[in-house]
Amino acid sequence: MIAVENLGKTYTNADVATAVLKDINFRIAKNEYVAIMGTSGTGKSTLMNILGCLDKPTAGSYRLDDTDVNSLDDDALSHLRNHKIGFVFQQFHLLERATAARNVLLPLIYAAEYPEDADQRARQALSAVGLVERMQYKPNALSGGQQQRVAIARALINDPEIILADEPTGNLDRRSGLGIMAIFRKLHRQGRTIVLVTHDQAVAEHARRIIVLKDGRIDEDRVVENQRDPEVELDAFTEKEDR
Amino acid sequence: MKIRRIIGQGVQSLNANRLRSFFMMAGTIVGIAALTTIMALGRGIEKKVMQQVETFGPRAMMLIAGGGKDMPPPDTTVTTLTVDDARAIQKQVSGIEIVSPMAWRFRINVKRDVHQYQAVLWGVEPSWHAAWNWYAAEGEGITNEDVATLARVCVIGQTIKRELFGDEDAVGKRIYVNKKRLVVKGVLSKKGSSPMGTDFDNRMIVPITTAMRRLLNVDYVGAVRIITRDAGQMPRQIKEIRALMHARHHITPPQEDDFRIVSPVAIAKMARGTSRTLSILLIALVGLSLIVGGVVLMNILLISVGERQKEIGLRRAVGATRRDILSQFLTESLAVTFIGMLIGSGLGVAIILFLKKATRIPVMISWESFALSLAFALLVGTFFGVQPARRAASLDPVETLR
Ligand SMILES: Nc1ncnc2c1ncn2[C@@H]1O[C@H](COP(=O)(O)OP(=O)(O)OP(=O)(O)O)[C@@H](O)[C@H]1O
Ligand SMILES: [Mg+2]
Repeated sequence: MIAVENLGKTYTNADVATAVLKDINFRIAKNEYVAIMGTSGTGKSTLMNILGCLDKPTAGSYRLDDTDVNSLDDDALSHLRNHKIGFVFQQFHLLERATAARNVLLPLIYAAEYPEDADQRARQALSAVGLVERMQYKPNALSGGQQQRVAIARALINDPEIILADEPTGNLDRRSGLGIMAIFRKLHRQGRTIVLVTHDQAVAEHARRIIVLKDGRIDEDRVVENQRDPEVELDAFTEKEDR
Repeated sequence: MKIRRIIGQGVQSLNANRLRSFFMMAGTIVGIAALTTIMALGRGIEKKVMQQVETFGPRAMMLIAGGGKDMPPPDTTVTTLTVDDARAIQKQVSGIEIVSPMAWRFRINVKRDVHQYQAVLWGVEPSWHAAWNWYAAEGEGITNEDVATLARVCVIGQTIKRELFGDEDAVGKRIYVNKKRLVVKGVLSKKGSSPMGTDFDNRMIVPITTAMRRLLNVDYVGAVRIITRDAGQMPRQIKEIRALMHARHHITPPQEDDFRIVSPVAIAKMARGTSRTLSILLIALVGLSLIVGGVVLMNILLISVGERQKEIGLRRAVGATRRDILSQFLTESLAVTFIGMLIGSGLGVAIILFLKKATRIPVMISWESFALSLAFALLVGTFFGVQPARRAASLDPVETLR
């Protein structure tokens, strides 16, 4: 469970303080599916980085399950990122010279124990995103959508509770984007907590809850009434193309 | 273990960027190849030096007529060194086993019928055989009786025997030296030639009295060979011999000596010649090339850290600690210098084998040079890899992933 209270983030550059996040309060329970929305520069990525233990807030508290994240040192944060959190980025961030399989295995390099069935797990993760047959491909031989799916498989390899995705469909066409959303929906059904950053209302409505940021504050926190179903939309998409 | 996985990541990264890795390696390869070659040259020279000391005799000293710092042969114009000097040394310097004076003529014409040869003549006492550990292979050596009776006998070296007698028997035959007749009493065993190429078997020995009174008509000797019981005593003995000679020849030190003492230490010094200064210079060059190589390595690594910011950020995001990143970049640096060392050593060995085959330069491969190369490589890899690795580890993942 994620709980942030009075959370704030202020950057100070050359004596100029910029408050990027102000007084943020929310809880995200296990197995929620939340979209964070807002216009560019409102602090969505900053919030995401804090939730992902990559960055620290300058005010307030952040509790992840029973841990007070603020009190952890750098090594402990690394450990937390490694086994509790799976990141998905807008730019995929794959290692260009490594195969899909190697990319997917990357988090295991930094795990305390390297599982004996690592290769098996990489295969499973890749098959979960429909890419087993591309295991030995390098990123430059994959489409953008496929690259993002490799990145999701990488996020899944350590079986994390929480998936944090920052504009995961931002660099993709609509159809590939829907493919990614379909995977997130499946992951949500498996019981994972998913937090998704997007500025696209249509993408956000795939989630069950939307938090809207405005000027670094929470402007809206609501439940999605008509949750979109990516499968249905994909079908509609295919039909339209077939016609 | 985690560190092994991280090392694996470093190696994979090097392998994926072979050209970059090669440039990082180049300095180490050159430096280590040079180091290996130079050490082999140094070793080769040292071995030659040891051989020369062995030939001279590790427990031997030579007291030679004539001052100056030069090596043998004796100065034949100096007439002050006598058999009595030799006796005095024997009596007054302790720990000496043999003192053997020698009258000397560098080129002397030896004839037998139509055959003739330019030999080196030594007039010796019987102790000569033990002093040089050089005995007659056929016939007999010089005896006390020969010396006492001024016997007209000689013992000749193998080259002389071949030149004058060919395959015939020499023992009992006559030869002529300075028109004086001598009977060949024996033939010396084969000694071969020095590392410098001087033939030792062109020598002949006669009783010292015969040489001085019958052949050369002199009352002085050219040199005295002295064998100590214990090489450790040599510095003291040399000091005492010098003092004794000063007293006997009435020399007060600012005055120039009319003798010189050659010891294995001096022989080694001469054999080494300028090679020592040269190799110090070359080692300095190797050090320089390793440092330059290290600086290049460091700069390429720094550039690489700059280029790979996103990769570093990503690794941090999926759980790498700062130390994991540090380890990976240090691994890359160390692997580069380690592999560079292997290639450099291989190259060095190739150069050495070539020198051995194509030239007469003495070379000798040693394990020490391998160990030293390894130590240098790891030192360079660590020293020049630390800063880039630190920089990589200190990057803020949030910044790099933006
Ligand atoms: N190191 C920093 N120093 C000062 N200001 C910063 C720093 N990093 C980020 N900011 C500011 O914080 C604000 C929020 O940035 P953030 O990346 O979180 O926005 P975002 O909502 O993700 O925007 P986008 O939709 O464009 O990705 C921006 O105005 C940015 O300029
Ligand atoms: Mg953003």
